[in-house]
Amino acid sequence: MSQQKIDYEKLTTGYEFEPSGFSIDNVAATKYLDAVDGSKGIYGKNNTVPPMAIAALAMTAMAEGLSMPPGAIHVSQDIQFLNPVIINENLTSYARVNRVVKRGKIHMLNIGVNVVNERNISVLAGETSFILPVSQ
Amino acid sequence: MIQELRTLNTESNLTELKRLVTQEKINAYAEASGDYNPIHIDPEFAAKTDLGGTVAHGMLILAYLSEFMTENFGENWINNGSLSARFKGAAYPGDTILVSGKVNNIEYKDDFVLVECDVICSNQKEEPVITCITKFKGKSNEDIG
Repeated sequence: MSQQKIDYEKLTTGYEFEPSGFSIDNVAATKYLDAVDGSKGIYGKNNTVPPMAIAALAMTAMAEGLSMPPGAIHVSQDIQFLNPVIINENLTSYARVNRVVKRGKIHMLNIGVNVVNERNISVLAGETSFILPVSQ
Repeated sequence: MIQELRTLNTESNLTELKRLVTQEKINAYAEASGDYNPIHIDPEFAAKTDLGGTVAHGMLILAYLSEFMTENFGENWINNGSLSARFKGAAYPGDTILVSGKVNNIEYKDDFVLVECDVICSNQKEEPVITCITKFKGKSNEDIG
């Protein structure tokens, strides 16, 4: 999932990150559910992936394309679970800068994420907002 | 306990969820998500920041919130839920996170019911860590889960 990092101060509204492909196998799903103390039965029954695991990987993929300072604060997160995802299904995550606001020493960034399956059907959508310090 | 949609109302008691945050769990989440930001996993680095120490990933605490919704609403939540969360404070290793919530609105539309909940993750000092509005759609004439 590695890609070229862009400095957050160079981002403009409409900037599109490189799409990132990933899939979640049984091992990764179990690892995720163990980490979050999540219940396994509901997913095992239908061989589906925890939707928050998809959100987590999509956010990480987006963050891999972005160079942010240590003072970055994650202020909000919107997520929509649109369709179930089966274990090992190939997914592609797209991320786009929705808004950039610079006010004084504060820099606000809102990024939209859309994850689609192999049939190009959206399975998860989200928006994430960060507040970052503006460099002097 | 999965709530029955047929009898759900704004007075319904949703089952609370409690989770202890530990550095081991934060490290495990970093492994599972691929988010190795040092503010979460490097105590020396984190000690020099304004936060004063490592903190849990916001998405880890949000996963607890989603688990609360899963325990209360089952497949209706994981198949078509949505959430709008605001991160209000950091969760530190040693914190106990309580996820609680209430049904805010129920709207009946044809065969479906749209449910909206106010959910909060707070620490042991009752300080909010995340406030969130969650929504999902379920069939009004069926049990869920």
